Amino acid sequence: MSIKADSINIDLGGRSILNDVSIKIHQGEILSVIGPNGAGKSTLLKSLAGDIKPSSGAIHYDNKDISDVNIQERAFTRSVMSQLQAIAFDFSVKEIIEMGWVDRGESTYAAEFENAVMDVVTKCGVKDLINRNFNTLSGGEQRRIHFARTLLQLWRPSDSSDPKYLLLDEPTANLDLTYEVKLLNIVKEAANDGTGVMLVLHDLNLAAKFSDKIVLLDKGGVVKIGTPSEVLNSKILSKVYDIEIKVQEDPLFITYY
Amino acid sequence: MNKALNLINLNKLHISSKQLFKLNVFVILCAICFLLACVNGSIAINFTDIFSGEISDLTKIVLLEIRLPRVILAALVGASLGISGAALQGLFRNPLADPGLIGVSAGAALGATLVIVLGSNFLSGFMLGSFLLPLGAISGAMLVIMMLYMLTKGFGYQGVTYMLLVGIAVNAIAGVGIGILTFISTDSELRGLTFWTMGSFGGVTWPLLIPAIIIILISVASMMTVSRNLDLIQLGEPEAYRLGVDVKKLKYKIIISCAAAVGASVSLSGMIGFVGLVVPHLVRLFGGVNHNYLLPGSAFIGAALMITADMVARTMIQPAELPVGLITSAIGSPFFLWLIFRIKRS
Repeated sequence: MSIKADSINIDLGGRSILNDVSIKIHQGEILSVIGPNGAGKSTLLKSLAGDIKPSSGAIHYDNKDISDVNIQERAFTRSVMSQLQAIAFDFSVKEIIEMGWVDRGESTYAAEFENAVMDVVTKCGVKDLINRNFNTLSGGEQRRIHFARTLLQLWRPSDSSDPKYLLLDEPTANLDLTYEVKLLNIVKEAANDGTGVMLVLHDLNLAAKFSDKIVLLDKGGVVKIGTPSEVLNSKILSKVYDIEIKVQEDPLFITYY
Repeated sequence: MNKALNLINLNKLHISSKQLFKLNVFVILCAICFLLACVNGSIAINFTDIFSGEISDLTKIVLLEIRLPRVILAALVGASLGISGAALQGLFRNPLADPGLIGVSAGAALGATLVIVLGSNFLSGFMLGSFLLPLGAISGAMLVIMMLYMLTKGFGYQGVTYMLLVGIAVNAIAGVGIGILTFISTDSELRGLTFWTMGSFGGVTWPLLIPAIIIILISVASMMTVSRNLDLIQLGEPEAYRLGVDVKKLKYKIIISCAAAVGASVSLSGMIGFVGLVVPHLVRLFGGVNHNYLLPGSAFIGAALMITADMVARTMIQPAELPVGLITSAIGSPFFLWLIFRIKRS
């Protein structure tokens, strides 16, 4: 079971953004996407989420072409977190988290609603915030709430084996050191439970520590896919990022200043 | 009440018991206003007389043929403006959206004026009043919402001021159209025009009212079915889509329902300002911003408010009558100012 992109090309406004990209998000695995600004990382995530249709090539959700998976089924299968817009009305934090609950129209699921919300709230450590007005939270707190919402969308009863995937676009932006690591540990835990994860990250050291596989993108194309030690090579990185990058092996550690 | 809520597909997971209780209070409030408005007026009617059957023929006619349709119309118009305001604010993700301010009512008025002035030349009176007039108004309203949608590039959140400016322009254009049509109209057409450009519930009869009841009830019910999706779209269109919302379908549903509800209302009562703006904010202040609560709440409070405004309009300076639009604007415009200051502060 996997979400995969088969040699996709994406052109936006006459400009080629992605060029013949093929990747696969396996269940139980964290795949990080790294690369300089404008490499096409977010566009890749959006096309896998189904927001953007590739100009050519195909996206598959568990061996089904994405166009054969309806919007509702997609919502059951994958959840997405990306840069967010301001919210015009004063929703409570709890209400924002609950928006992640995709109604499945099954009473067995509905009965678990309160449990599922509490589960996620406890896991993300946002219990103190749930009665606050969402718009009064700091940027970092808002991101943590959106992350909790993203997790709630993939909540399953413990006996369920439905495939699920998390697509996260820079989930650690605005987070302090503590929550950066906490959030990625939760992601790691989810992967250990069988969730397929795609992470767009800027911090190469975080990518080195938390990924099973890394994709390095540059100018819309894949430079290299592989395990962290295969991809995080000082020669390749220095060339792609155009600054001198040193990589120290075992444990992997990247310095560039 | 709870049964009725189920009927319109309310998902109980997303409304609190406190909010359900408040909705019940709104219904009771609405019912009280309704009864009071039925018995108060230039001819006062006693409650006890109605129930004991000791009622003169004249009072009976006043009650059944004049007052009852008028109060029902006020309730319907209030409900449709209230719920349309709430739904448009949700869809535009903009607290200043209101069918009147953004020009939807003006579009409906222009459509209706076109029908009154141009249509009377070659159509019978019955067709004109009952069906063509609402149809003209609805088309006008729909045209304006579509135009707003295109001009604000899909109701993007950035467009708060921009949308209001477009609304001003649309109001002005509609004003010109109505002005020209008024100028070329005959005396009898002019009577028809003045009847509702001032905004009034007077003179409505059952044959005019029944199509409007049907149109408004269907649109309100159709808006209620997407209340949860209106919550989700607050996260932004891509997010709502990722949560399984067919955003395009949602937009069409809201646009068509609002146009139908506002169009049908305007065709019978003229342009009544600020109700669609004020009511949703009042309801939010009472108990929350989620649309499972907000939409029905706005319908009930809108109805209660409008029934009361109309009652005040026709009893304050008896036997003369104030235009009801004057009363709603008197309450609504200071509220609008307050809202702008509040938004500016935050």
